[in-house]
Amino acid sequence: MNVITDAICPFCGSLCDDLTIKVENNKITDIQRACVLGHNKIAGVTDHARIEAPLVRKDGELVETTYEDAIERAAEILVNSKRALSYGWSSTSCEAVSKAIELAEETGSVIDSCANVCHGPTTLAVHEKGSPAASLGQVKNRADLVIFWGCNPVHAHPRHMSRYSMYAKGFFTKKGRKGRHIAVVDVRETDTAKIADTYVQVDPGCDFMLLQAIRSAINDNEDVIPEIVGGVPKETILELATMMKEARFSCVFYGMGTTQTRSKYKNGDAVSSLLYDLNQYSKSVMIPMRGHYNVTGFGQVCNWETGYPNAVDFTRKFAYYNPGETGASDTLLRGDVDAALVAAADPGSHFAQEAVKCLAKIPLIQIDPYHNPTTELADIVIPAAVVGVEAEGTAYRMDSIPLRMKKFIDTDFKSDEQIVTDILEKVRELKRGA
Amino acid sequence: MSELIIKNAAVCDPLNGINCEKMDIAVKDGKIVESVSSNADTIDAKGKLTMAGAIDGHTHCAGKINVGRLMSPHDMRMNPVNGLSGLQPATSVTRAQAGYNTPNTFALGYRYSKLGYTTLSEAAISMMAAKHTHEEFESIPILDKWGLTLFGNNWQVMNYVRDEEPEKLAAYLAWGLRATRGFGIKVVNPGGGEAWGWGKNVTSIDDEVPDFDVTPREILVELAKANEDLNLPHSIHVHCNNLGKPGNYETTLDTMKIMEGIKAARDRQVLHLAHLQFHAYAGNSWREFESASTQLADYINTKDHLTFDMGQVIFGPAMTMTADGPLEYSNARMLHSKWSNKDVELEDGAGVVPIVYSPKSFVNSVQWAIGLELALLVDDPWKVMFTTDSPNGGSFVNYPEAYSLLMSAKKREQIIETLPELAIDRMVLPGIDRELSFYELAVMTRALQSKMFSVDTIGHLGIGANADIAIYDIIPDKIDAGIEHEKVKQALSATSYTIKSGNLVVQDGEIVSSPRGKTYWVNASGRVPSEINEVTLKDIQNNFRKYYTVAMSNYVVDDHYLPNPIEINTQEA
Amino acid sequence: MQKVTLTLREKNRIPIVADSITPDNFAGLSDRDIEQIPVWHGNSQVFLGDIFEVVVDGSDTAENVVIEINGDVSRIKRIGQGMTAGEIIINGNVDMHCGCTMSGGKITVNGHADNWIGCDMRGGEIEVNGNAKYYVGSGYRGDTTGMTGGKITINGNVLDFLAEHMSGGEIHVKGDAGLLLGLANNGGTIIVDGDATMAAGEMKKGLIVIKGTVHEMLPVYREDGTEEFNGETYRKFTGDVNIRGKGTLLIK
Ligand SMILES: [Zn+2]
Repeated sequence: MNVITDAICPFCGSLCDDLTIKVENNKITDIQRACVLGHNKIAGVTDHARIEAPLVRKDGELVETTYEDAIERAAEILVNSKRALSYGWSSTSCEAVSKAIELAEETGSVIDSCANVCHGPTTLAVHEKGSPAASLGQVKNRADLVIFWGCNPVHAHPRHMSRYSMYAKGFFTKKGRKGRHIAVVDVRETDTAKIADTYVQVDPGCDFMLLQAIRSAINDNEDVIPEIVGGVPKETILELATMMKEARFSCVFYGMGTTQTRSKYKNGDAVSSLLYDLNQYSKSVMIPMRGHYNVTGFGQVCNWETGYPNAVDFTRKFAYYNPGETGASDTLLRGDVDAALVAAADPGSHFAQEAVKCLAKIPLIQIDPYHNPTTELADIVIPAAVVGVEAEGTAYRMDSIPLRMKKFIDTDFKSDEQIVTDILEKVRELKRGA
Repeated sequence: MSELIIKNAAVCDPLNGINCEKMDIAVKDGKIVESVSSNADTIDAKGKLTMAGAIDGHTHCAGKINVGRLMSPHDMRMNPVNGLSGLQPATSVTRAQAGYNTPNTFALGYRYSKLGYTTLSEAAISMMAAKHTHEEFESIPILDKWGLTLFGNNWQVMNYVRDEEPEKLAAYLAWGLRATRGFGIKVVNPGGGEAWGWGKNVTSIDDEVPDFDVTPREILVELAKANEDLNLPHSIHVHCNNLGKPGNYETTLDTMKIMEGIKAARDRQVLHLAHLQFHAYAGNSWREFESASTQLADYINTKDHLTFDMGQVIFGPAMTMTADGPLEYSNARMLHSKWSNKDVELEDGAGVVPIVYSPKSFVNSVQWAIGLELALLVDDPWKVMFTTDSPNGGSFVNYPEAYSLLMSAKKREQIIETLPELAIDRMVLPGIDRELSFYELAVMTRALQSKMFSVDTIGHLGIGANADIAIYDIIPDKIDAGIEHEKVKQALSATSYTIKSGNLVVQDGEIVSSPRGKTYWVNASGRVPSEINEVTLKDIQNNFRKYYTVAMSNYVVDDHYLPNPIEINTQEA
Repeated sequence: MQKVTLTLREKNRIPIVADSITPDNFAGLSDRDIEQIPVWHGNSQVFLGDIFEVVVDGSDTAENVVIEINGDVSRIKRIGQGMTAGEIIINGNVDMHCGCTMSGGKITVNGHADNWIGCDMRGGEIEVNGNAKYYVGSGYRGDTTGMTGGKITINGNVLDFLAEHMSGGEIHVKGDAGLLLGLANNGGTIIVDGDATMAAGEMKKGLIVIKGTVHEMLPVYREDGTEEFNGETYRKFTGDVNIRGKGTLLIK
């Protein structure tokens, strides 16, 4: 029996790294300390519907083929495209991301990550205002005020609260939950809100207004705040502001409730501006609650390799970046790509119907361990090892701390990194031949 | 194996006492050798200026720079320096390039190579994010790299300093260098980073660090002593308290003075002061702001225990990035600009803020002058390392601009004339007519680094050195750099040839091949007695168990991240 | 006077980047010359002659060049980018970045315009006789100065983020505007005849006039009496108070 300690959970952006995994005869027999989401993902490697073999669509049906054949066909599609979209890459390793970027550059494609439909607006906000952030351990060791804004860790990031935020005990926070005030701002009373000390209900789409009002309160401009802003009474707004000013160390964790509602990235921008002023009085930082375990890593790698964090268009051989134009959903909604490569993602179920229609019309290559609705649209399906379980590689936690994911069991499936490397080699071969 | 002979080179190699002498250089298997066979490839240098590959001893090229990139997508299209900035398409040998102050990794590699650089010292590895730095190192083509690990606000360091446990302190430093695969000890605003955990700062070397009962003075001295106990190749590398504040030169002098008694373990300085320009300000307010370069240079001219780098300012947009968190917040408030911050648990912080240095601003103009003043007022070039603290004072692609300023009093005069009168009153540059020679420039850009970092295989062209060579389109005895400064600048902006480990990487200013570089790291664990190591490890484990949010085993950078390592073992030295 | 008529041969789906379509580039060129100008169609290079039927009448300098474009160019980007003089008339819908960074001359769109029309504009004039989408007259990602001069008139409606980071010039929208117009205005003048939502955040200086209804007034402005504008009386607000802004917001 093989016991793997300090194993890293490849599920959410919390990237918990304290799991113990027991393996017998190349089977995972025990998973300790994982939350239910992480447990399901790791155990699911054998339970869920894996894509058993490479597939290619013939006469409307997906039929089995070899890796070699699937990779060659994928390369042909990419070489022949005028503007392909490479999308996903958020539940895979940084090493695979790096190769995917090289492939996009080589084929003059657009590449984007799942951030396009979750925290992409977060990076747009950083372009505007920067990001006053900290590692999660700063929150654990110092924070006496934690605000969850538009996020619900009880369900989406279950161990976040015990490891980093709500209950964590650290050097200056020996009392843990007792010494820490928890506030939740959300449109509905989530399970996180139910265990918070303060719950502020904001009207849907009014986060921006509320943030502006708090900023006015912080800056002693109370007089410009009307009696109610976004459904929140002025009195509550002033209380929130006072709470933030009087804290020794506060952190705003913000989720898709702020990034994917009305005003989108301007909400993150407004949090940043608020903290820019607040830090004159009291230490305060913000950390995005990233969903996919390595969506942060995609942003990091893409940023250092291309200069931009996502949505990079290589059609003109240099890196061109303009979300709103070069994002995955932008291109699919306009239908202005003629092929797609989707890896470790499921746009078939997460994108708007118009975008899915476009995907259905164009040649689509899928790289994924599992069947999902995107498989139904795909013309070539290449099965992959599950990164963080069957393949190792680097991932970045939501606070941009890098960790090396381990491999627990062996597999015959190729890793994402290997598949992309093979496609890239084939593409170069085809281009040389042409 | 591969052989190369460079004929008719005008070699400028200060470590070997060679001053622009015409000679041949033989290269075999990536090293400089006595002679090669008649089958060797030949480059005819035609009397051109030939130096060892340059070494940037203080640059921000990996890690934090990514925060800068994220804040400035508009920087990617900026193209003020032709051929060395902006968006450039991929070619058959190069990847796509972007940026000016915060270029992508590929552009960093290609553009440094075009300037004749072959080695980079990243100024700050954040311990907990060290893998990130190494991932970027691997992505930067051609050049060799190393990084200095941040220790100046580390809880375990401060605890050992307070508890007077020098042996454990040394053991922890050795562990930390190994865990992060770092090259040396970087100290940034000692104590100030911890204070910033609560939104505060320290303002002198004798302020107490909140909750830790130590002072910056104690941290500095104990780290310097431990550095020598470990026999590290580099001295401690210090970014002083009070960076960027009027009147801060006194803190800088204090920091230099407290190191006078430290005994060097090697033939080098015991203190390196980073980007001294930012620490050389007199006056009690911005209104009174003036240069203190004379005060600092007078002291440095009488002492031999320290080196410094310039931190030269280049007019135009730049991106400040430092582990000095509180400084960056005050920068952002003062400049009304974007602000990024990144505190790291138990260790340090970081901030990133964009800036524009304007020749119309009196403060910026004086800053521009101070860097040059320091380099020119300190008599011995072996104490002065050339830097812009890239991209803090300006992007490295502007180095040739700064070289030509050092080499031409006339060029300086032409610029000074255009600056605000108030600024001219507050600087001493107009009275300085010293002009650096190519020999002195070679000291400040290569030879000094070899000594400062105790790496005897780089920074010179003697037998056995790495074949890292830069050949510039200048005939040294046929040019008057004082007059023909524009020509000098152009020639130093793109080599005729850059050779890296014996491979031709740049020819006529264009990248012709892109091999991978190596990463240096320092293993000092052999200097730590095993019983000390054991008790220290217990303390480290305790910190991980109680306070860190990652496991110790996941924190350490493993071999995977250094596919081409060069390990320097300090016991052997 | 030089008249250049471009007639689209076939509507494209994959975008074409045609930043070379400017009076500056066409001045003095024959139809043959213009047909040979390369443009990007996706990742391949084609020539203007492949995309358009090109007819040239006369030969002159840029300020006397008129380019008329016929057909649906809603997938042709960057028409008129960086132009300094002359005129472009587009008889149809036009794709993104039309007239961006232009510093002189005039562009008329007889149809709808896509995102980023007039972005980073320095001078000259743009008139759209239809609607425009997002980021009219704004800046590029990360930049803190957008449009600095010139005039944009949109005779229809616009979507969100009108005039972000504007720091000079004038924009007049005759219909409604979307969310968050005039963010971080630093000296521009914006007039909206219709309605707007959450207008004028982080204004440092400049003037924003909303003649219709302002939905959700941002709590960052201090009311400061009334002011006359073009013969009408408005409530005057000053802000954004959180950045000690001196901007003027006039609403009914
Ligand atoms: Zn530095």
